[in-house]
Amino acid sequence: MPDDLHAKKKSHMPENSLVYEKVIPVVLILMGVLTIALILFALGILLGVIRL
Amino acid sequence: MSINQILPFISTAIMLGFTVYVFQRYFVRRAPHFLFWGIGLAMFGAGSFSEVYLSLAWSRTVFVIWYLFGAILNPAWIGQGTLYLLVRRQWVHLVAGALILASLVSAGLMLSIPIDDQGFHLGTPISQQYKAIIPAASFNLILIPTIIFGTVGLVLLVGGALYSAFLFWRKRVLPNRVVGNVLIAVGALSVATASELTHLGYGQFLYLGELLAAILMFIGFLTAARPQPEEAAKPVPAAAD
Repeated sequence: MPDDLHAKKKSHMPENSLVYEKVIPVVLILMGVLTIALILFALGILLGVIRL
Repeated sequence: MSINQILPFISTAIMLGFTVYVFQRYFVRRAPHFLFWGIGLAMFGAGSFSEVYLSLAWSRTVFVIWYLFGAILNPAWIGQGTLYLLVRRQWVHLVAGALILASLVSAGLMLSIPIDDQGFHLGTPISQQYKAIIPAASFNLILIPTIIFGTVGLVLLVGGALYSAFLFWRKRVLPNRVVGNVLIAVGALSVATASELTHLGYGQFLYLGELLAAILMFIGFLTAARPQPEEAAKPVPAAAD
């Protein structure tokens, strides 16, 4: 079954919701940035750039 | 009881409930992602329990359990569960095999390093004194698997949760899975951040990070797994189910 047809059977996000339209995308982007920062930090330790 | 006993005690209790819940789902569905999540969560709980124990008494065995399961292994095992959920390919079994092998090597390494009993001081959180218990040369050795397992776990668990949340958000469906995956990612990031701060010498944040992770990841998991009215008629396989 195609995804778009299948999706019609699933629950949908509320229309014009501040949480889903604004907050969720910003939170996803911020968490992506933090994840990359943590990965770079870990790489810095492994490569000896950051001394513990 | 001090805050350094209360926080890991609550984390342990939550992780116990979380682990039992995930294993129950594994025994019903027999899906490998539940198995790896369950084992990883049990490791997380073992680490938290060790913190409670080490706040009351010294034990070399419990210290090894704390570092091996709490600091090294658990993120990668939980992350492997996410990999099994998102990628239905044969090579995921090879990654699982490599994880098991690397875990055994890490366990052997952890059991072989010298531990300085005299470095332990009752009343100080273990997260703030572990570097005094493991000699510097040995610490540099076990830091390598600690960083590698932690980073792999971070990429798989947080990356997987963010990816799942984004997919559902883009399709504008299953808002419970968007919120659930966001909560899982926030929880995993809180303990990952606290762990890296601990490496830098700020171990006082670790127990709070672990408690936040336990609460948010469990709520996120329950939220993502909650059947929606339309789903109840015909379940739909999807991420973080």
